[in-house]
Amino acid sequence: MTGRSLLSKISLGFAVFLLVSPAILFFVWMLSLSLKYEIDNGAYPPILIPAPDMIAWENYTNVFSSSNFIKFFWNSVIVTGSATLFALVVGVPAGYGIARMKATKAAVVVLIARVTPALSYLIPLFLIFQWLGLMGTLWPQIITHLVITVPVVIWVMIGFFETTPMELEEAATIDGANGWEVFRHVALPIAKPGIAVALILSFIFSWNNFVFGIVLAGRETRTLPVAVYNMLSFEQVSWGPLSAAALIVTLPVLLLTILAQRQIVAGLTAGAVKGG
Amino acid sequence: MSDRSRLSRRDVLAGSVAAGALALSGARPAQAQAMNWKKFSGEKIEVTLVKSPRADILEKGLPEFEAMTGIKVGFEQIPEQQARQKQIIELTSGQPSFDVIHESFHVQKRLFEKSGWVADLDGFMKDASITSPETAESDFSAAGLMFAKNQQGHLRALPQSVDYWVIYYNKEIFDKAGVKYPDTFPELFAAAEKLTNPSANQFGFVARGLKNANVPVYTSFLLGYGVDPVNAKGELMTDSKEGVEAAKDYQRILSKCAPPGVVGFNWSECQSAFMQGRVAMWLDGIGFAPPLEDKTKSRVAGKVGYGLMPKGPVARASATFGDGISIPAASKKKEAAWLFTQWACSKQQGRNLITTGSGVPFRNSVVQDASIRGELKMPVGWLDVVAESAKVSKLGLPVIVPVTEFRDTIGIGLTNLLSGGDPAAEMKKATDTFRPVLEKSEKA
Amino acid sequence: MSVETGSALSGAAAAGSSARASGKSIERTAKDYWPFVLPALIIVSSVILFPWLFTIWMSLNEWKLGGSIHFAGLSNYAKLFTDERFRDAVWQTIYYTVLATGLPLVIGTFAAVIFHEKFPLRGVLRGLYIMPMMATPVAIALVWVMMFHPQLGVLNYLLSLVGIPPQLWVFSPKTVIPSLALIETWQWSPLVMLIVLGGLASLPTEPYESAMIDGATRWQMFHKITLPLIMPFIMVALILRVIDALKSFDIIFAITQGGPGNASETLNIYLYNTAFPYRDMGYGSALAVVFFIIVIGLSLVMLWMRQRNKWDEQGADA
Repeated sequence: MTGRSLLSKISLGFAVFLLVSPAILFFVWMLSLSLKYEIDNGAYPPILIPAPDMIAWENYTNVFSSSNFIKFFWNSVIVTGSATLFALVVGVPAGYGIARMKATKAAVVVLIARVTPALSYLIPLFLIFQWLGLMGTLWPQIITHLVITVPVVIWVMIGFFETTPMELEEAATIDGANGWEVFRHVALPIAKPGIAVALILSFIFSWNNFVFGIVLAGRETRTLPVAVYNMLSFEQVSWGPLSAAALIVTLPVLLLTILAQRQIVAGLTAGAVKGG
Repeated sequence: MSDRSRLSRRDVLAGSVAAGALALSGARPAQAQAMNWKKFSGEKIEVTLVKSPRADILEKGLPEFEAMTGIKVGFEQIPEQQARQKQIIELTSGQPSFDVIHESFHVQKRLFEKSGWVADLDGFMKDASITSPETAESDFSAAGLMFAKNQQGHLRALPQSVDYWVIYYNKEIFDKAGVKYPDTFPELFAAAEKLTNPSANQFGFVARGLKNANVPVYTSFLLGYGVDPVNAKGELMTDSKEGVEAAKDYQRILSKCAPPGVVGFNWSECQSAFMQGRVAMWLDGIGFAPPLEDKTKSRVAGKVGYGLMPKGPVARASATFGDGISIPAASKKKEAAWLFTQWACSKQQGRNLITTGSGVPFRNSVVQDASIRGELKMPVGWLDVVAESAKVSKLGLPVIVPVTEFRDTIGIGLTNLLSGGDPAAEMKKATDTFRPVLEKSEKA
Repeated sequence: MSVETGSALSGAAAAGSSARASGKSIERTAKDYWPFVLPALIIVSSVILFPWLFTIWMSLNEWKLGGSIHFAGLSNYAKLFTDERFRDAVWQTIYYTVLATGLPLVIGTFAAVIFHEKFPLRGVLRGLYIMPMMATPVAIALVWVMMFHPQLGVLNYLLSLVGIPPQLWVFSPKTVIPSLALIETWQWSPLVMLIVLGGLASLPTEPYESAMIDGATRWQMFHKITLPLIMPFIMVALILRVIDALKSFDIIFAITQGGPGNASETLNIYLYNTAFPYRDMGYGSALAVVFFIIVIGLSLVMLWMRQRNKWDEQGADA
């Protein structure tokens, strides 16, 4: 009996190792690239840890000093922050409404937004933003990011509201509360964990978006993923600075993942199962 | 880019900026009556250039320009692909957000001219109040002016830098094997084959195999047969007898002597392999040299030879590409932009380019100035090959509107060669596919 | 939302399901909830509706950016039928989607079963496992390029340690799509894991207890009890994966741009190449419309299938 459980423990451990090691390997290697000069980054056999005098801390300091990184970081925060908050404001009630009324057509529109290839938005949106005189501001990006964040929020919230019990709402209705009061005082407080998940997910997907930024961002309005891609210089390989920048960009999201993994797990599963 | 190289470049710049200020102040009295650099003081222009060492140099020199003119400059560098896409979208919209743009002559020249996107600079050239005497056409090389003028001879850009294709070679590998740098195509193949030793992870030759990027490699061979990709009558020559021979050369050297996977290599994979000492020869543009000599990046620093493209059966030719600076026709600050354009293509900036190895200006007076040897941060071999290549320079890509489709379509044919395709069949197929695109675009 | 999407497709079944639903909440009708939904609906449709109308209109015109616009009727669509590159792109999209859906499904389900067990540090390890899904795709792609380098890359080095000869990864037309799918698998198996994990959490314990008494092996239990029960969850994961794999852009664009040759040019990349580098907005828009129809059609079919399964189960329950 104990023999079998020991064996299963070992095989379980091995399976966990197999699953986790590609992720660990990748991020360790990324860290390693970011701390080396190109001469070591291209070396074969590969060098994992450079000699002490060959550690390229400057890959990091350069990222901050050279390319307006702080500004881009701030742009990312504003674009992602606004798009996420706004998506919560309209998306949470929408998720509630759709879940309660089983609104077929509304759900289809949200689905279409999720399914549409982002590329097809670019030209028309560029033209309309220019017509509105919004180019050169962060608005075009905030508005287009809504296409990402609103469906994510609705998606998670539908799933969440479908699982919350109806009895309390029914009781409140019988007590004479109107639809808004029921939502505000009964449904919303229960939905807090769901909102947290919607916030985290919409933040992550918006933060990582690259396609919109290529066309809609200018020098002053660039967000971080675009800025990282812009580290790619012609005629010079630059894996070190690139990896350093990439790590800095993903760091907020990675930290969020580790810190909030329990909530993400809970919310994603609930949302996906019910929302699909 | 690592900080070490940046530091050294900064040092160079500190010196050259000082020299530049002197040169400019020295030049001023002669033209003081007419040219007034401060005429548009207080204006703000937006400059969007393609990310490259050349744009880096301009970016570092910006304070100097702003001090000299009082013009505020919003400056950004974007990677090539994105920049081209952004330019097209914004220029199409008729209200571009930039007043100065980078123009890759070899890709965008005809498109920009035909679409009427770039301003005619002839008027500015004649206006002595906003044109420095230094900007005179006479100092720009013939190739540069050919790039910068449209078919009617109107100036649509200022030529900034020229790119010759050369062969970087690893002197250590050559010496060890007792091989001499090749002078003809057959010698090139022989040397490449001799220096290939896959079991030691050493390869004789590398160049771009990735579709689109690989076309200049092919044209480097094609030009050796005395043939341009599109002849004077506008006919495609890629499936001619010479076109097929060049394809055979391309196939031969890249399948036999290049590292496995070369079909997916762009310049960066080639550069990495060369810098790690894995390949004996690398055919690419002259602008890729500085990192090779940077000890934080390259294992072959100090061992790099700079070789002229070997002679083909008919001619010796170095495939040539060029970049310029132009002003969108829709810009509302064209005059201020014109001042920036002149500064960016000035003698001093040209000097900064060549002495750091970041590029080669189209200016005769700079390239022929013997004193740059003293300031050169690159081995003299580099400068020598620049001078030699200039003598055999030939356009590496046809001057047509659909350059990207040309490169993609012919590039696919070349890619197929590397997996054993028949040169005659592949070139015919690619050429036939592209021909209607070209005809349609010329008719439009 | 899929519940409703499905019911839109199958009126009769929908009537049945809404009757069941209304039996539960009689107090409010659908009308009362419209104010909640409307703002979001207006925003989403205004941001996506205009681009769509524009794209459809453009697809009926011949327009090269920088040139003039001519009405061209359906000629852009007609061109699709003779376009070899389009045909290749369709096949490559299918190939890519099959791999980038199948592998994450298998590995993600396996991971869910593993992470459903209790063991020390489970939370942290699970967090590590889902990191690839959260990291910025463009940033990730650039690092993968270097890791794939056939002569200098760390992947071939690791293979050499266990005696496997070097691979060409994304540097060969033959292996480029599987290699890209590998990245996609690495990145998105965690999402499958999370979805299936939710399913595992909701499983009843009784069938296992009785199976244990019957002396069933672990595999038998998984195969006969767990798998059928979590099938609906795997279906959800399948739908999400198919949609995302079809649309995949960042990774392919940043790593191969569709190469070597056109070997990894999927529809989305071809669409990009046509619309931007070739400036052919008319044809590019026609591609976008066709691509959109494919994606929407596929998702609706899958949602409908899933719905049917669900109703069958509900029917059985009743």
